[in-house]
Parts: sequence; C-alpha cells; structure tokens
Amino acid sequence: MHLFYAPEGRLRLTMDNRSYVEVVLAWASPLTYPGKYLSFLDGKGKEIFMVTDPVVELAPEVWSVAQGELQRRYLNGVVHKVLSTKTEFGSTYWHVITDRGEKEFITQSLQENAQWLSPDYLLIIDVDGNRFEIPNISGLDEKSKQILSVTV
Amino acid sequence: MLSADADSGLREGESFLAELAADLTEDGRFGIRHVRVSESAVTVTNEAGAIILNVPIADLEEAKNASLVSGGRLVLRTKSHEDIVAASYSLTRAQAFGELARGIQQLAKGEEFNVNLVQQKIRCDKCGRLLPEKDGVCPNCINRGKTMLRLGSFLKPYKKKAILLGVYATGSTALALLPPKIQGEILDAFNAGNREIGPLMQMVGLWALVLVGLASIQVLSGRLNTWLGSNLASDLRTTTYRAIEFLNLNYFDKKPVGAIASRVTQDTDRVWFFLVDGLPFLVINGMMLVAVAAMIFSINWLLAIMILAPIPLVAFISVKVWKPISNLFFRTSQKMARVHMHLNESLMGIRVVKAFAKEDNEYAKFKTRSEELRNANIKADQTWHTAFGGMTLCVTLGTVIHWAVGGTMLYRGQLTFGEFYMIHAYLGMVYGPLQWFASVNNWFSRAMAGAERIFEILDTKPESALDGGDVRKITGQVEFRDVRFGYDKSNPVINGVSFTAKEGEMIGLVGHSGAGKSTTINLVSRFYEPDQGQILIDGIDYRELDLRSYRNQIGIVLQEPFLFNGTIADNIKYGNPDATMEQVMEAAKAANAHDFVLMKSDGYDTMVGERGARMSGGEKQRISIARAILHDPKILILDEATSSVDVETERKIQEAIQRLIAGRTTFAIAHRLSTLRNADRLLVLDRGKVVEEGTHEELMDRKGRFYDLVQTQSAVNEIIGIGTV
Repeated sequence: MHLFYAPEGRLRLTMDNRSYVEVVLAWASPLTYPGKYLSFLDGKGKEIFMVTDPVVELAPEVWSVAQGELQRRYLNGVVHKVLSTKTEFGSTYWHVITDRGEKEFITQSLQENAQWLSPDYLLIIDVDGNRFEIPNISGLDEKSKQILSVTV
Repeated sequence: MLSADADSGLREGESFLAELAADLTEDGRFGIRHVRVSESAVTVTNEAGAIILNVPIADLEEAKNASLVSGGRLVLRTKSHEDIVAASYSLTRAQAFGELARGIQQLAKGEEFNVNLVQQKIRCDKCGRLLPEKDGVCPNCINRGKTMLRLGSFLKPYKKKAILLGVYATGSTALALLPPKIQGEILDAFNAGNREIGPLMQMVGLWALVLVGLASIQVLSGRLNTWLGSNLASDLRTTTYRAIEFLNLNYFDKKPVGAIASRVTQDTDRVWFFLVDGLPFLVINGMMLVAVAAMIFSINWLLAIMILAPIPLVAFISVKVWKPISNLFFRTSQKMARVHMHLNESLMGIRVVKAFAKEDNEYAKFKTRSEELRNANIKADQTWHTAFGGMTLCVTLGTVIHWAVGGTMLYRGQLTFGEFYMIHAYLGMVYGPLQWFASVNNWFSRAMAGAERIFEILDTKPESALDGGDVRKITGQVEFRDVRFGYDKSNPVINGVSFTAKEGEMIGLVGHSGAGKSTTINLVSRFYEPDQGQILIDGIDYRELDLRSYRNQIGIVLQEPFLFNGTIADNIKYGNPDATMEQVMEAAKAANAHDFVLMKSDGYDTMVGERGARMSGGEKQRISIARAILHDPKILILDEATSSVDVETERKIQEAIQRLIAGRTTFAIAHRLSTLRNADRLLVLDRGKVVEEGTHEELMDRKGRFYDLVQTQSAVNEIIGIGTV
C-alpha cells in the first residue's frame, strides 16, 4: 500500500495493483472512538477499505501521510483551557486556548449546542457550526472547570 | 506555484476584484491569511503582508471550495492538474470563500467576475456582540429612548386614557404617603398629652378615607393599565401581522418562519408584559422613591442621608445578583425542557420502545435527566434564598440605622415620636420594591429589543405596487422576453428564457431539479420579478398591472396542497368567500370531490384540521382543485398535482384537472413525464435555459434531452417496479 500526493495537493492510494485518485480519509466515529475506525474513500465517496486501529494496522509511512491529511481535514479545535465565558442576551461568548491556538467564539442555545458525549467529554458547536471539543474535562485546570460548571 | 515579483501581486494598472481573510494558517492554527483576487492572479499574504502564494489566473483550470470538517479550503487546480491549497478557513468564512471560488472559476473561464461577497451580518458593528438573528437588531445597542418614543406613538389613539393613567399614578403615590403622616400626627398628639377621642377618630376616619381612595385608584388604574397595555399590544400585533403579509417573498426566504412568527407573538408579548407590569412598577415605585426621600429630607436631612445610604448598595447588589441567578433559573428551564423532550419522544415512540424491550434504557435516561433537573433546581433555589437573605439584610440595614441614629435623636428630643414612626413606615415603602429594580431593567431591555424587532418589520419595504397600476381582466397570454433572475443576484437561476404561452394553452415545464421550473412559476405568479428582461401579460409588462388584481386571476394547485384550519366549504371558497353553496358543490363535483365529501359525517362542514391534517393526500388535492375551479383563474399553475396518490385517486384527480384547465393558460410541472402527455407544448429547462421545446411526440422523435429524461425515468421506474412512463 502506498499513500502519496500526486500531483501536488491530490492524495493518491495504490494497493493491490490498483490506484485511487483524490482519496479522502474519514473517521467513522470520531467522537465515540477517537483514533479508531479510519476509512479510505475514493474520489466518488465510495469506501475502499477501513482500518480499525490505524496506528497498528497501517505501515508507519502510510500512517504519517494519513495523519497529515487528517490534520488538514478535521479542523475541530480541542480546548485546553477556558479563559472566560460571558452570557448576554441568550448568547455565550467564549475565550479559549485550543490545540490550534487562542480563539474567541460565540454559541447560542447551549442546550442544543453543548453536547455531553460522556460525563467528561463536551462538544461545543458555535453559531457558524464550528466544533470545539473538550475530551477530558477533569484534566482541565481548576479555573477552566469552574467556568465550565457555571456556563454549561 | 509561482512567486510574485511585485509586493502586491498586482500588474500595473490593475486593482483587486475581491479580498477575503481566511482564519486558519497553512499548519491549521488560528491566524489570518489574506486572499486577494485580481484579473490576472490569486495572491495570498500572511499577517505581515508578505506574499506566500501567487497563482496566475491564466494557469488555472478550476477553483473550488473543498468542504472539510468544521471548515473548508480554497483549492486551485492548475492546467497541469496540480491542486494548490490557497487558504484554509473555518465555517465562519466558508460561505464567502465558496463565492470567491466561484468568482475565480469565472475568471479562469474568461468570464466576468460576478460574485456576491456581502455576508449577512451576524455581529453588531458597534459592540461586536452576536446578533440574535442574522442582519438583525443588537439588543445591547438599540437606542432605547428612541424606541420607547416610537412605541409611545402607538398611544396616540388612547391619549386621554394615557394621561388619566398618569394622573392615577401620581394620585396613588401622593395618597400612599398620607397614612404614615396621619399615624405620626396621632402619635405626636398622644405624646403631647392629648387624650381626646374625637380628634383621634377624625384622624382615623381620614386615614380610612385615604385607604378607600387609594384602593379605588389602584383598582381603576390597574383596570385601565391592563386595558391600555393590551390594546397597545394588540395594535402592535395586528400592525406587525399586516406588515408581514405584504413582505416580499425574499424576506421569507432569508428568515425562518419561526423567527418571523415570534415577532408577532413573543416580541409583542414582551412589550405587553413590560407595558402592563414593568412600566407601572417602574413609574409608581420611582415616584414613590423620590417622594419618600423628599418627605424624609423634609423631616430631618441628616437622618435622611444616613438611612438612605444603603440604597445604592441595595441597588448594586440587586443588579449584580440578578444576572447569575437568572442564569441559574434559565438552566433549570433548559433542564426541564430536556425532561419534556425525552418524555415526548419516548411516549410518541412507545411502540418502538416496547418492541425492542428497551423500557429499562428509557427509564435510565429519564432518571438521569430528572436528576439533572433536580440538581439544577436545588442550586438555583438555594442560591436565590442565599441572595435574597443578603438582600433582606441590606434592606433592614436602613431600618437599623434609623433606629440607631433616629432613636438617638428621639431620645435627645431632636425628633418627635410621630416623625420617628413616619420615617420607619416610609422606609418599608421604598426598600421592598428596590430589590426588584434590577429585574425591571431586564424586562425593559427585552421589551425594547422586542419592540425594535417589530419596528424592523414595519420598516421593511413591502411588495411592489400591491395596489395601484392597471386593473384589467386578462385573457391569459404570457410572454417571457429574455428573462433573467436569481434569488441571489450573482447566481442566476433563470438565464435568458424566452417563450410565449397563448391564451388557453397548456405548457408543461420539464427538467432536472434545480433546472428552474419552480422559479419560472414563481415569476409567473409574480412572487418575484425578473432582474432583467420582461414578462408580458396580454402584451403588457406585468409590473404595470395592479398586483392584487393580477394575483386574483391566477390559480395555484400545489404538490402539497395547503388547506387552512376550517371546514371543507370554507377551504373551497377561500378565493371567493361570497360563493353560494351551489357554486361550492358545483366546483367540488368538477374536482371529483363531491362524493367523498358527502361520505363524511358533517359533509361540507367537516373540519379539515390544521393544515388539512384530517384529510388524506388525494382528498386535500381535490379540495384544492375545487378551490382553484371556483376561483376561476385565467392563468393556472399546477405543481406536480398528482404525485403520491394511488392509481384510482390519480385518475380522479387527472379528470378533475382536465376540467380545470379547459380555457385557461396552464403551466404544469410534473416529474412523472407521462402526466404531461396532454400538454400543448413542453419546455425543457436546463440550468435556467430553455433547451428544447415541442409536443411530447415531437420531443420523443427528436431523441434529445427530453427523450433522455424519459428513458432515465423509465429505467428507474422499472427498477422500483412502478411501471414505465
């Protein structure tokens, strides 16, 4: 199996004497099983194959290219620290530090847009549909936890 | 990828056609990248302004907005089939970049750059807050005084009553000040050694009179206030509803129905609540505060300063405490909504729950949600009682100061016992209501924001020339002359359509979804008007015709017929409320509806239910055909009128339609191409253009686009086993 960009910018997969152009990588269950069930799709959106545990099942060079592509495709922010929140007129203004840097965003209707995936895992969707994950609330600093407990 | 020679990436004499900021960097971190497009190149610069990418338009084959999770990227495909990622962005910017990609694509194809990069405003220009609705009003920045004045203009018809209300408010404040004064006088007289019962009874009688007067004023003012507030809210509601009725359909395209409906219900309710409860509270207690302060000052200014000192503290705490507490109560209501949601869902799906034997799982979910509600409730109520206790302490602080300082003055003879008692009574009158001032401010903010949203509708330009213009009976000839139209002007859906439908002719509109069929009938109905070109009715541009009169001569039978909650007869005569029962039945017979109506217990008096829910699909369809027949239009629009019914019902509907279309110019859309066999002419639309025209037979013989459509449909129908066309 060979995963590479050819021409530049277009992901290509060759395996079993076949070549697939414009390959798309997609997690089947990114929130419940992060890092598991990685699917490889062809240019028409048809699944070529799926690996349950890519770290174990993919060759290191393939996994390395796949990781780069996944980083580009999944633009969710993982929140490391909640600096502040402010609720006014039904909107909540967030100021956080994520794995992609510092970010301010706004949410409305927290009942629908702050989803508890588990007692310790919160997914927040802002007004534009951007997603921010807090996968391990108990691992956050005390101030962040205190702000979260008041906000959501 | 090419690097630029110049600092800006522009050629000499060239300017940028568009500029957008992407909010992600190349490594996926949050940061700004500027994407600029000129006639000759796409240029990307970093935050420092240095060019990091410059791709000549001449090298491009394609540009697209590739959708990613939580964002997208602008991909430029070169003629050598390289894909260049020009910029990555979050969903906040994705729509604008989609438009930009379309513009770059236009340039790459040698077309004119024509895109709409104006995004709907989601944040306030002034304070940066998120707007509750896109392009809506910022609740923080509205000019409350101006809004209040405008709201006041609705009082004009009730001017005298409003003045009377003001008199009542002043009167009740003045009277409320009297009892402590009388009580003080009685005590002072007793202290001075007066033991005569007569003067005491006189004073008590006066006191009783004041109480009767006060109660009478309160009753009258309460009744008048309710009457006035309700009238005002009703006027606002009906004015808003009337304005909504005449809004252009574009407005409904942009805003969800729920949001528009809430202007009529929630926003007017907020205004009403404030007018009936908030405003009188504010006015009466505000006046009371000033009057009491004046009274206490008139008795002893030094004591007044000391005992009124905690007022700012109470006001401050009230403002500070109100917000977190209201947040907690808001959370409680959210938890309650979750419990309700689960309850509704599990009860509605009880068959599924039982079938899968999942009662225990549903119980566990319900229990969790119920416990969440319990915890939120405990927290909110406990916080409320704690805060309220603190507030009560502050409130009683004024009284304690009064007893300490005023008591000392009383002992030293600087204050009479009557004066001491009067002040004590007055304090009780102001400190209590002070606790609620902060919540009044909140009601006020909400009411003014609601009023502003209502005014936004009232100020929106209504449909063009609803009244006015040529009122005439039309014969039904419809001519499209090079018509171009797009819901979004940069993206035409109808692109140069020309045809003429003769009086009484039936035109079938055919094409893939998105080809422009529905838009064509929207244009015929004049729900929208062409951006370019003309639509002529009997040779006259239809914009010169009176809109109401024109629409009165159009009939529509929709794919999903809409019935109003009322009887079958009411619905049939919707377009002609004065029609006789005989006319209603005649129309129903022509629509093959009469027989099934008679089979119902209440016949034509049968209630159809909300949106016709108590009728079957075929019944609704035939009632709507009867409605169109009775309306007797010159131009008829049939939108897929026979879909989703059984064969026998379809036959009856087809018969009804044949009777309906006789003598009328008809535009019919049907995905089942066989239903258009009877059309005089078919127009095949593709990407907003008429690509074929002719009768069913002619087009089949031609073996062109229509033929392909029929073949595809036959193949699909065979696969799903519903017979061939």
